[in-house]
Amino acid sequence: MSLAVLRRAVLQVLLTVLGLAVLVPFAWMLVSSVKLDSQVLTVPIQWIPQEFHFDNYVRIWDRIPLGTYLYNSMFLSVTITFLQVLTGSFAAYGFAKISFPGRDLLFLAYIATIAVPWQAYMVPQYIIMERLGLVNTHLSLILLQAFGAFGVFLMRQYYLTIPDELTEAARIDGLNEYGIWARIVLPLSKPALASLALLTFVNTWNDYMGPFIYLTSNDLWTVQIGLRTFIGLYEAEYAMIMTGSVLSILPILVVFLFGQRYFVQGIATSGLK
Amino acid sequence: MAIHTPIDTVRTPVPGGPPPGAGAARRLRRRNTLAGWSFILPNFVGFAALTLVPVVAALALAFMEWNSYSTPEWVGLDNFRRMVGSETFWTALYNTTYYALGHIPLTLVAALGFAVLLNRALRGVRFFRTALFFPYITALVAVAVVWNMLFNPDAGPVNQLLRAIGVDNPPGWTTSTTWAMPAVIITSVWRDMGYYMVLYLAGLQTIPAELYEAARTDGASAWQRFRHITVPSLRPTTFFVLIMLTISSFKVFDLIQVMTEGGPGRSTLVLSQLIFREGITQGRFGYSSAIAMVLFVVVLVITVVQFQLQRRGER
Amino acid sequence: MNRHTGRMNRHIGRAVATATAVVLVTAGCGGGDEPAVGDDGREILTIALWNYDSTPEFAALIDGFEAAHPDIDVQPVDILADDYAEKVTTMLAGGDQTDVLTMKNVTDYSRYALRGQLASVADEAADLDQSKYLSLEPFNLDGDYFALPYRQDFWVLYYNKAMLADTGADLTSLTWAEYADLAKQLTSGSGQDTVYGTYHHTWRSIIHSTAAAQSGGDLIGGEYGFLKDRYEMVLDLQDAGATLPWATASTQKVQYHTMFSTEQAAMLPMGTWYAARLIEEKKAGSIDVDWGIAPLPQVTEGGPVTTFGSPTAFAVNNKARNSEAARTFVAWAAGPEGAAAIASIGVYPAYSDETITETYFGVDGMTNDEVAQAAFQPDEVMLEMPVSEKSSDVDVILTEEHELIMIGERAVDDGIAEMGKRVTSEVD
Repeated sequence: MSLAVLRRAVLQVLLTVLGLAVLVPFAWMLVSSVKLDSQVLTVPIQWIPQEFHFDNYVRIWDRIPLGTYLYNSMFLSVTITFLQVLTGSFAAYGFAKISFPGRDLLFLAYIATIAVPWQAYMVPQYIIMERLGLVNTHLSLILLQAFGAFGVFLMRQYYLTIPDELTEAARIDGLNEYGIWARIVLPLSKPALASLALLTFVNTWNDYMGPFIYLTSNDLWTVQIGLRTFIGLYEAEYAMIMTGSVLSILPILVVFLFGQRYFVQGIATSGLK
Repeated sequence: MAIHTPIDTVRTPVPGGPPPGAGAARRLRRRNTLAGWSFILPNFVGFAALTLVPVVAALALAFMEWNSYSTPEWVGLDNFRRMVGSETFWTALYNTTYYALGHIPLTLVAALGFAVLLNRALRGVRFFRTALFFPYITALVAVAVVWNMLFNPDAGPVNQLLRAIGVDNPPGWTTSTTWAMPAVIITSVWRDMGYYMVLYLAGLQTIPAELYEAARTDGASAWQRFRHITVPSLRPTTFFVLIMLTISSFKVFDLIQVMTEGGPGRSTLVLSQLIFREGITQGRFGYSSAIAMVLFVVVLVITVVQFQLQRRGER
Repeated sequence: MNRHTGRMNRHIGRAVATATAVVLVTAGCGGGDEPAVGDDGREILTIALWNYDSTPEFAALIDGFEAAHPDIDVQPVDILADDYAEKVTTMLAGGDQTDVLTMKNVTDYSRYALRGQLASVADEAADLDQSKYLSLEPFNLDGDYFALPYRQDFWVLYYNKAMLADTGADLTSLTWAEYADLAKQLTSGSGQDTVYGTYHHTWRSIIHSTAAAQSGGDLIGGEYGFLKDRYEMVLDLQDAGATLPWATASTQKVQYHTMFSTEQAAMLPMGTWYAARLIEEKKAGSIDVDWGIAPLPQVTEGGPVTTFGSPTAFAVNNKARNSEAARTFVAWAAGPEGAAAIASIGVYPAYSDETITETYFGVDGMTNDEVAQAAFQPDEVMLEMPVSEKSSDVDVILTEEHELIMIGERAVDDGIAEMGKRVTSEVD
């Protein structure tokens, strides 16, 4: 067997072991989701449940309006992701490909706000939203999270890797800036758009504090809030929490598996010819 | 063939117009300013109203006393004096820095390593990429419980492994004030590496395959290809990853809250927890803003330094 | 800095303060609005509470109140228990007009009352029969009341009847020394099959509040020598293997319900709220431990039974939209009718007389033998933590130092000394 093939095999085995090892906490989640509450946090951990309670996956839909919560989470995640990607990539073009006075300072201001932890300004932010009458609406969360600095930052860095020759050529051809953005730059940045979309989706889907603070009515709640209803004043129903968490991961998995297509090499390099 | 653009370039004007003179340059600059702002505005309006204003208000609160209910009262530097004299503050600052110094390099190396490793057509590469992303999407409660179990000083696999290779007195991990932070760092690297791997994967797509081909025919080894092609080409991505890693490391909250709650004692208490506690729980919003201000300044300084280093690296 | 810049700075300071105040301080004084009226013509009364679906006492109170006052429509504002205080603080900062606010414990009560966010209910308090309440007095702040308790929880000793049966111990009056011996006696097995004599949950109150209540110590005073005996007992039990080590319980988030209901622990000092869960799950068939309740062990034999506890109360928001109906509700819930409503579902009310006690023990599945009856008649119930603006800060310090003692990194004496030092120097 040649060295290269051997090396490849070793790599394959190593990655498989690593891949499985990394999944251990998720395995615990799966196993706990079919246990009784009192069996979940035992010492030592029971990796094989004494009794299997697959009915947890049925019960949870009665215990909390999980369908409503899933719909709300999906609505918020999709809307916020779409807006974040749109406005972020749009603004990033201004920061990356157009030079105007004050640009870098403004960009620094964007990044500076990411540096302040949300805990510090959540109350002033809430007060402003209350004044605008937006508390207890989905719109509040959409407005708060769709215009973040993260998307702008990510796309800007990516646009910097797109050679100026391309945009110059397009200008010579008579395209205005918006045309260049839509027809040249945007299609070239699919991997970045895909990763921005994925990460925004995941972060929004898993966000707890934002929806918790701003959504009071039960029918507006998201999955993350719904799961925490199982944490009572003194005890928590961990089996139900795990069941819900497993269900809650499924959409993200789907998005990730689907989005992987865009990480495939070869898409971005065509533009130079 | 340039792969990336320096940050400030003077735009060449559209040909067909008048030759560049003072008036033309001014017109160009104004056209650029208008164009630039038209792109930024949609995002900026929302950002300014709903994020920038609260952040500025929060930072201004550092010089006031406010319990969230009555009118804020100007107290000048009193909050800062209190902060400087508080042992808890210095502990939190030390812990946060400790965490950042551990978390940033380890996560970066792991993310880059895995991205490079998984950027090729291996069998089951989709499975591996998904598996590495799983830690980031797993419920924090599950992460905390399982890792605490793994780190259990008596029965946990980590210490059993250490004992098997001859370590006599393995660490107490999350049950010990000395080893709790390393345990948290390890857990957080495991959790975040998939996230930044995704970013690196995207960045790796910008490197044309022809470069690697050319290098391979020239006889360059894998390591040389990595060092001389991959790393330089990834500079904008690395810059982004480094900045986001730095900021998120200094702001860390959720994982520590769920895993150790800042304990045992104050050994894993970080600045964000202190800010939250002093503000929302104890009602001292002025004081908590002062702490936030310190966090903000530290992160800003590091970010600006990274910005400058990147600029210099491009010249 | 010359006088000019000094004055300039003051001007700038005042300008910034005013600007921030404009942004932050909510407009309008609130409370002057007319109460909201629903489509059916009934007045609307909003109550901030937690986990509405899984906390039956709220439904019981709301249904009972609406039956007594058919012209009022009570609407719960459901907030997750885990982060309840954080959300209420944020809501109130934004000028929220929710009428009634549930006060989870006296620490929360101190905080909101001392900030002036609660309306006075002194008139309603005057109408109550003080003698029937275990803790009405703590809500008295300089002669004024800002909340009235509707529920009283205090600490007792849960025990596994089957395991305790053969020991012949007299559970109506255990001393801590007897308790410790029992715990060691009842421990058996090893490894995965260990049955512990007792389980001490990770909260510091088990040691701190018990010691303070039974020895008269002051938890916010800065002097903590009175904690020594309880610490030594608990650590001794831990070392002897009679209880799960604190470090494990804490890092693995062990649930006391799991330990007791799966019969891994024979005894469990815990609050009276736990009884409702045991009753419910036994009825549903998910557990089958034969459980009993005994009075909390005491320091000496034959003396009064002192335990500690925490009342849950309702308060009226200073900016309430419907403050009149709010007061009516708060008074009703704290009075005999409210007490009857929750006693019948196994929740121990703040108001208690003979009828109430009968109702409580009459709940199907409630343990009501002689020992349990004794448990529910403690001679004195002290507060888990004093009502004071210092309580919140002291609580944080004591918790941090408690952890260090329990994981064995600080000796008891050193830990106690450090507590005193930190409380005196850090809390003003």
